[in-house]
Amino acid sequence: MELHRRTLLALGGIAGLSALLPSCASQLPEPDVTAAGFGQNATGTVRLWCRAATVVAVRQVVDAFNASQDAVSVEVTPVLDGQYVTKLATAIRGGNVPDIVDIDDINSMLFIYRDSFTDLTPLVEQLDFADRLNPGQLGLATRDQRHYGVPYIADNSLLYYNTELFERAGLDPVEHTRDFDGLLEAARAIGALEEGTYGWTIDGNAAGILGFVVQPHLWAADAPNIVGEVGDQRGAIEGNDAVRRTFELYRTMWTEGLMPQSNFSGDGARWGADFRDGRIGLFPSNFSLAALSATPEMRAKTGVVLLPGPDGGRSTFAGGDNLCIPRGAANASAAWQFARFALDLTQQENLPAGGYIPVRSDAATARYRQEFPLAVAPLEEIENAYAPTTLAYNLLFNQQNSPWIAAFRRAVFDGDVDGALAQGQKDFDRILEQAQL
Amino acid sequence: MASLTSPATQGTPRLLKVRRGRETPGAGRAENRTKLTLYWLGGILATLVFLLPLAWSVLRSFQANEAIVASDPDVGDLFTFTTENFSALFSSDLDVLRSVGNSLVVAIGTAVLTAVIATLAGYGFGRFAFRGRNVLFGVVVVTMMVPFQAIITPLYLQMNAMGLTDSRLGLVLFYTTVNLPFGVFVMRNAFETIPAEIEDSARVDGAGTMRSLVSVLRPMLVPGMATSALYAFLASWTEFLGALTFLTDDRLYTLPLSLVNLQSGAYGAVNYGYLVAGAVVAMIPCVILYVALQRFYVAGLASGAVKG
Amino acid sequence: MSTLERNPRSLTHPARTGLLLTLPALVFVTVFVLAPLVFAVYMSFTNWPLIGSYELIGLGNYAAIASDPVFWKSVGYTVLYTAIVTLPILVLGYVLAVVVRANRRFSTVFRTVFFVPYVIGLTTLSFLMVLEAQPGSGMVNIVLETLGITDGTTAWLADGPLATGLICVMIVWAVSGLTMVLLMGGMQGIPRDVYESAEMDGASWWQRERSITIPMLRRTIAMSLVISVIGSLLAFTQFYVLTRGGPGTDTQTVVMYIYQRGFVQLQLGAASALSIVLVVVVGLVTAAQFRLLREKD
Repeated sequence: MELHRRTLLALGGIAGLSALLPSCASQLPEPDVTAAGFGQNATGTVRLWCRAATVVAVRQVVDAFNASQDAVSVEVTPVLDGQYVTKLATAIRGGNVPDIVDIDDINSMLFIYRDSFTDLTPLVEQLDFADRLNPGQLGLATRDQRHYGVPYIADNSLLYYNTELFERAGLDPVEHTRDFDGLLEAARAIGALEEGTYGWTIDGNAAGILGFVVQPHLWAADAPNIVGEVGDQRGAIEGNDAVRRTFELYRTMWTEGLMPQSNFSGDGARWGADFRDGRIGLFPSNFSLAALSATPEMRAKTGVVLLPGPDGGRSTFAGGDNLCIPRGAANASAAWQFARFALDLTQQENLPAGGYIPVRSDAATARYRQEFPLAVAPLEEIENAYAPTTLAYNLLFNQQNSPWIAAFRRAVFDGDVDGALAQGQKDFDRILEQAQL
Repeated sequence: MASLTSPATQGTPRLLKVRRGRETPGAGRAENRTKLTLYWLGGILATLVFLLPLAWSVLRSFQANEAIVASDPDVGDLFTFTTENFSALFSSDLDVLRSVGNSLVVAIGTAVLTAVIATLAGYGFGRFAFRGRNVLFGVVVVTMMVPFQAIITPLYLQMNAMGLTDSRLGLVLFYTTVNLPFGVFVMRNAFETIPAEIEDSARVDGAGTMRSLVSVLRPMLVPGMATSALYAFLASWTEFLGALTFLTDDRLYTLPLSLVNLQSGAYGAVNYGYLVAGAVVAMIPCVILYVALQRFYVAGLASGAVKG
Repeated sequence: MSTLERNPRSLTHPARTGLLLTLPALVFVTVFVLAPLVFAVYMSFTNWPLIGSYELIGLGNYAAIASDPVFWKSVGYTVLYTAIVTLPILVLGYVLAVVVRANRRFSTVFRTVFFVPYVIGLTTLSFLMVLEAQPGSGMVNIVLETLGITDGTTAWLADGPLATGLICVMIVWAVSGLTMVLLMGGMQGIPRDVYESAEMDGASWWQRERSITIPMLRRTIAMSLVISVIGSLLAFTQFYVLTRGGPGTDTQTVVMYIYQRGFVQLQLGAASALSIVLVVVVGLVTAAQFRLLREKD
């Protein structure tokens, strides 16, 4: 009897103790970036996380860095884009963080608002090229004038087109990429050329892609789908004429067979293979998929512009990665040494070789223009680059169960534009409200 | 109903001997030809339905990725075999071997720990009378009804605070908990079926509690232990949600997490050849262990149901 | 619990030893199940984020659940999925059990084979299904095209109803083996003389199944139903691997939504409230099923 009661008490005690334990988590310590010699002559290993989508470009710079000296060695861990936020948050929670993260710029703010990244302002201000850094990307790492990261590689959504098909269909690259009427006309003309040739292509079942290449149409019209400041944001879907017209453009192209059937299920695994085969007129995507992965012959007959709005205007997604140093990083000094190296003109100039765009406007040197002509447009029109500042980007756009892809598919493939807009508005508002908690 | 669990005086494969000895409904002399034909027809048809897809997957793992993703594939291509998927899988680039190792460590650890703790508890619950025994046994069984999927959130925080996230030991402890109730259940049944005289005679000989447990009872407990160990192994070998939640460090990834990376192209372009080869690697230990130990496993599950 | 009678308290089985033997198991259950459960209740009253500090918000999370359309959609979907697969699993499992229960030649081999997919596990099978469900190249499409049923370009995983159908077929195929084993155990426990008298009365095979086997298997059927229904209500892996809950939230199950709220939206408090709801629902379903199927005992 006595024994039994004591056992129960003991078990209860263990239960209570284990329940209490989790509440004693504390903030990870912030590295002192103003310490003398910070970021110079560091030693040891740097654990770098990068997102899987940009692993090729990251490896390229890391290999160059590791080859350039012996004291610091960078180890790359690719993390799937869809899991990135979760994995980084759990790592921070667990106190076992990487030394530096290559993070999708639109997700940076989520961690900055939760005090998880080191304030790098003094280091960024010291850079002699600070004023030439991609302003859109730097903005996504900046809160209250403090910089919690530095842009590293840019990944802009652009509209690539097949000049040969344009010529055969008697189209003008400037005229027919200026607004939606022009795009539709071009798509129809190219679709009519021959069997197996299409005006347009998009991977319609890949959430990240739809956020990346469809939204700039709205921004070009100055009509974003999220409005308000962080903490008080709501969706702007229903009643947003640009959203409606963008969905309708896609709907028209889908019903008229101007896009390949495979667009319905395309999940990004073979994104743009049809364009690179020369069977597509217009292909909204990025430098990596449209140009780098293509054959030199195909590249020679490819042109590029920024994405137009319904009635003109141009925009591009200020996408790409920022480098941030999580609080609690064990080797922050060496991490910054790597970041500094990655921003050098030599590395930046060469980024298109790995599929990405530099983040420094002065990287567009003569050699660069000569070597990567299809990667020049985003640097020249850097002021047209935009990306929303929100804590919920991942939820609204990048997850496969996000409302943006749901609304797009409902409007384009099911033909229910009104329903898609109404549902999208509700879902955006709900998620933005939940994200304020 | 009593047959599977009734006291038997012989040793090890008791459950099976009992079954083999009895005749089951329909197996009597009145059996007619139609019935036999139906049996073979149904059996063979079902065998094809269950085995063909798996056999096809094994073939798939020896096809090149180009053949796997080709629309309207050429039949010749589908039967041109290569081991490139496996060699790529185990190359240092993908290093799936490491996650196979992690999965093995975790699954074996879970199997051993589950079997040991379930045996001890089964002995306690099955052979000892102590106050609160039924309540405590009830507590263990009721945890069977608490889905770990539902408490994954607090569990994550708690394991995190205990330093058990990003840890193979943490996964082992977690999987052991998930598999314990079933193991305790099976082991209690096993102990209850052992006649008291056998144990008592060992005691009269002067054997202590532990020694009597080990030497006298072991042969009778092997089926139950094998059942709970195998059950725990299979359940943890490719468990997904827990591994996804509790592991962040890719060096500790178990096999299913590596497969997600392969599926989503974490290392560049998606290669279905690698994916199918990885899945086949995941199948191998399950099938081998199951075929080797299935007598125990099936009998254990079946007896659990009868007692249920 | 007939054991107390069978094992009278004795000096050779001291109570203290018994308790000690069960202690490790009790510690595991306490630390990894009961404590998190208690903790979940507390968390559900907070706005606990994955990173950062939290505050108590009373019943806020529960109030939000009531008006959360995505949660209720996932509840509806999970119930629908459970409703679709439960009966086929039971029926197929029963048929397979009938095939393997007799001690005929090969019945052990058959039994082994039918159970293999369950042993391999849903995770591995789901990954295999990923490539066989691809439009054009997947076996599912090639077979259907060869049979002349489709044109072979069906995008199974990009459409809610199609993905659901495909997953349901896969699940029934994969887990019926478990039901088979459980029912077989029960069938083999039925004394043979019961059948003999029925045979003498000239009862047909189906009459015997209906009047003898099924009634006597009531408890075993209840058990296997509970296992399969709970398994379906808690489905996660096959959906995560095959559809990620998409397109949209069309194939998002309850457990996926809890994972999403906790580890993607980083809102552990809200996720805990959902967890509590799920624990209660699963408990109620289990109790109800046992009750319903045991009534006639």
